[in-house]
Amino acid sequence: MSNPPSAIGRIIAAAFVIAGLIGLVVSLLVASIPQGGPRQIDGYQPWSPEILAIAASLPLQDGGRIKPLSAHAGFTMLAIHGSRTMRIADTRGGNYRLSPTAWMMDTLFRPELAIQQPVFRVDNSAVLEAIGLKARHKRDRYSYQEIQPGLPKLWELAATYEPIPEKQRNPLQQQILGFAYNTRDYLTILNHLNFARYGIPVGEASGDPPLALSRAMENAPRIREDLIRARQAGEQPTGPAVYVYNQTMDAAGMAGQGMKWFPPADPANKTWRNAGDLIAGVVNDEIRPPAPAIEDIRTLEETCRAIASGQPDFLTRLTHLRDDLSQRATDRGEGRMVRLETHYHRMDWFLKAFIVFVLGGLTATAMWLSGRRRLGTVFCWVTLGLTVVGLLICVTAITERVLIMQRSPIGNLYDTIIFIATAGVFLALLVEWFFRRRLALGLAPILGLALVYLSRRFEMGDTKDHLDPLVAVLSSNYWLTLHVITITLGYASGLLAALLAIVYLLMRGLRLDQGDQSLRRGLTLATYGVVCLTLFLSLVGTVLGGIWANDSWGRFWGWDPKENGALLIVIWTLVILHARLGGFLREWGFHLATTFSACVIAFSWWHVNFLGVGLHNYGFTTGKSALWSFYAGILVILVFAIISRIIEKPEKP
Amino acid sequence: MPATSAHTTPPQIPLRTPIGTRPPKPPKPPFAKRLLGFLSGFGLATTLLVILGLLTWFATLEQIDQGLHATLRKYFDWRAVVVIPKLGNELLPLPLPGGYWTCALLFINLALGGIFRMGKGFRQLGVLISHAGILMLLVAGAVAFHRSERGHMLIPEGGSSNVAEDYHEPTVEITEIKDGNPATIHVIRGRYLTDLDDSRIRSVTLPGLPFDMDLAFYQANADVKAIGLEPPPPDVRAFDGYYISPKPGELNAERNTPACIARIVRRDGTKEEPFLLSTVCYHPLTVRQDDRVFTIALRKRQWLMPFTVRLDKFTAKFYPGTMKPSEFISDITRTENGTEVNAVIQMNEPMRYAGRTFYQANYQRLGEGPSARMASVFEVVSNPADQWPLYSLCVVTLGLLIHFILRLITAIQSFSRPQSDV
Repeated sequence: MSNPPSAIGRIIAAAFVIAGLIGLVVSLLVASIPQGGPRQIDGYQPWSPEILAIAASLPLQDGGRIKPLSAHAGFTMLAIHGSRTMRIADTRGGNYRLSPTAWMMDTLFRPELAIQQPVFRVDNSAVLEAIGLKARHKRDRYSYQEIQPGLPKLWELAATYEPIPEKQRNPLQQQILGFAYNTRDYLTILNHLNFARYGIPVGEASGDPPLALSRAMENAPRIREDLIRARQAGEQPTGPAVYVYNQTMDAAGMAGQGMKWFPPADPANKTWRNAGDLIAGVVNDEIRPPAPAIEDIRTLEETCRAIASGQPDFLTRLTHLRDDLSQRATDRGEGRMVRLETHYHRMDWFLKAFIVFVLGGLTATAMWLSGRRRLGTVFCWVTLGLTVVGLLICVTAITERVLIMQRSPIGNLYDTIIFIATAGVFLALLVEWFFRRRLALGLAPILGLALVYLSRRFEMGDTKDHLDPLVAVLSSNYWLTLHVITITLGYASGLLAALLAIVYLLMRGLRLDQGDQSLRRGLTLATYGVVCLTLFLSLVGTVLGGIWANDSWGRFWGWDPKENGALLIVIWTLVILHARLGGFLREWGFHLATTFSACVIAFSWWHVNFLGVGLHNYGFTTGKSALWSFYAGILVILVFAIISRIIEKPEKP
Repeated sequence: MPATSAHTTPPQIPLRTPIGTRPPKPPKPPFAKRLLGFLSGFGLATTLLVILGLLTWFATLEQIDQGLHATLRKYFDWRAVVVIPKLGNELLPLPLPGGYWTCALLFINLALGGIFRMGKGFRQLGVLISHAGILMLLVAGAVAFHRSERGHMLIPEGGSSNVAEDYHEPTVEITEIKDGNPATIHVIRGRYLTDLDDSRIRSVTLPGLPFDMDLAFYQANADVKAIGLEPPPPDVRAFDGYYISPKPGELNAERNTPACIARIVRRDGTKEEPFLLSTVCYHPLTVRQDDRVFTIALRKRQWLMPFTVRLDKFTAKFYPGTMKPSEFISDITRTENGTEVNAVIQMNEPMRYAGRTFYQANYQRLGEGPSARMASVFEVVSNPADQWPLYSLCVVTLGLLIHFILRLITAIQSFSRPQSDV
């Protein structure tokens, strides 16, 4: 016979779950929202939605592929600002939440406003103090205007620290260097269109307007002739020709970083060009014929000038630019996924999934509190509905990513997180289908939100576009695709097994199950099934990895840390199953061992990346402390369970 | 829990025993049976798996500081019977059996317990098949460990080669020169050399040559220094103005530059002055005996292919605007007995031919400027068990699928309808 869990037990468990959910949400918010209110910028005018929609879909080449401006802006903003939104206010009481595209458009086209925006995230006030600035808080965001006085010192320190090998730099040096890189990247955007805004100043005394770069480019043959003639005459070139040439090349240098908007005329040339490439190419007679390039520069100049005429005029110019670039990309057979990717970033699927899973976690808690009453059944269906919706959102997002990337869904660590989140939720629902105790159902959204939370935090720390193409050895191999999908499913399955085991230990240790043998047996059987699935997926995935390595690198097994990590999961799962079959592990022991497998999976999935050796090394170093916290959390649960086992009275048959 | 165990049936104890009397002890099974029970038991299987897990974990961590090659030799070489793991710079007081012997015992345990002594019923079919697949995998690993060869071949565009160089094994090559060209090459393999890292001297008899050799003071990684530039320590002897300066092994052991001391021993027993051999020496030592001329050099072992590979063209492609490689492609011509065959070797698509596999491993630019030639580096592997893991995977997958599907069906049947929830 089964005993219903006590009301107090339910409330304690529910309090834990709700506290955990709140903790995750608050942690995500704290990580992305700065201290203090929105920054006030006088005279700020938000971009119209039409302008933002057009700007978001501007194609450009970055990271080896063609992507929309919104994608490039999102990751650049994440790297510099630490968030994909920025809050500002104007003097009339207007509050604005800037998207990455809006921020990028301000930086490119309205630098006078952009330099007031709190764009630089500084997590350690010592960085600002090191460059002679006064910090407001330990952690805050600053505008370019605020950091500008410290720039000479910043460049000086960066030049000192850069030659020091990364492993030997102290955290402050590393932070200062990171701040310097972010500032440099910001300046390349801020100054990119200076040539279009200011042109080349000529005859300032007489009040003549500046010479447009496009005009200077048209005059390039004459400028070159003047320079050549002077050199042939053995004279030091001087005069207007030299002045215009130097000014033009300075402008080319300023616009020569990033923002590769312009597809080359030659279809065989796959490298797109930015404004700086076009200016330098025409002036140095490297781009022939020069007319299309000059026209491109003129278009940028006109677009820039249109800002002064108001947003409707600017929208017309920007639309013309976007349509022209998109058409040229399409004619070359490129940029076919730009619209889809714009949609992907606009939808922000995983934020939606996170919200749905949080709601699912809350209704799951209510379901557990309500028991098998009618209200409980209602919450059960609501939880199921929310979980399925969250799952479908994740599946949609991964499908869109696959279409954009034109490769298998898993190629980097970020891909594994969202894939494991999706697979974990699906497997939990599958367990519920067999188990029918409303336990796995409730765990499904919690597992989902925890992993989606992890993906958000990882993306914020890594700040790389994970849709970018893979290196040669990782691209287009049948065995690799099978291997990574199988092994990642193995991680998902192993984590679910560990979660079920943790629930078993906590329920039994805290007496929440009221000694319900049927529940315990059912949960053990479900966990055992998931452990078997983990073995199957991990073993097959590991051997598939060996087969791929044999095909790609010439050896089945190279004792690479990532390979070893996968092998450890296989070995540990085999230990659990053999010890169980041999009678060395009973229920407590089985669940303790399965809980420990969470550490084994964490080591294989994450920890090996910190070791700094091996062919699979992703080369990142952030998040190590979070990993140790995870190990410590599992250890606490294990210690608690062992103590509970010791003090548990032998139950009567 | 259905038993898939190979354990012996527990002795039958009478259900009722007379009050006040102790139940009779079951007769002790014979030693051979107990040994068989031990070797095939779950206890041994579990213990060995735990040990293998620990070895794998420690080896993963230790390779950070010690390098992969040295760590593998320490943990998984057949000569490593007992291993003392090291964490950071600290030796742990946890002696473990070596990985090679742990796997050997696991193989025995698996063969006895998982195949021969296991029940042969339909319910055990999946486990039997998967165990057989794992045995195949272990055999494949052993064959690869003992029989495979790995090396690399660097060929510039337009150039050709029929020789691969081993990554690790040092050899002493004695080449007889006739008419200014190499005529016969005699090789002293690494196994006669690499254990001479103490004060021992090994005399190597060289049949067919007019002299033998003494070898000593082998150093796996060493610089050769000129005494004029840096005087040697007091206890180190110099030869022809140079001496061997040992240094710690490289983390990437392929970069090690071995060195040793050698001496010619004439057939009449006279011993020549010792000389120094190193892989960093530009030129081999020349020895004359009667009218014959020989060169002696220490180098990584070279192995001859039965065919020649010519690199016609090498293409390195990168994603536009980045230095991220997208493709490395080598167009080659394979020449064997006068017959030429064109082939392409690229990332993930090696060339398999005559028991050898050629992988696109790397590339180099030879020289500077636009006239610099590109060179392709191929990894050359000869592994008799090349595709065995694939076959064993098929077997294991089939076995596990059968087993887990059967278990799933049983589990679904055993799940009662819900009586309570959480």
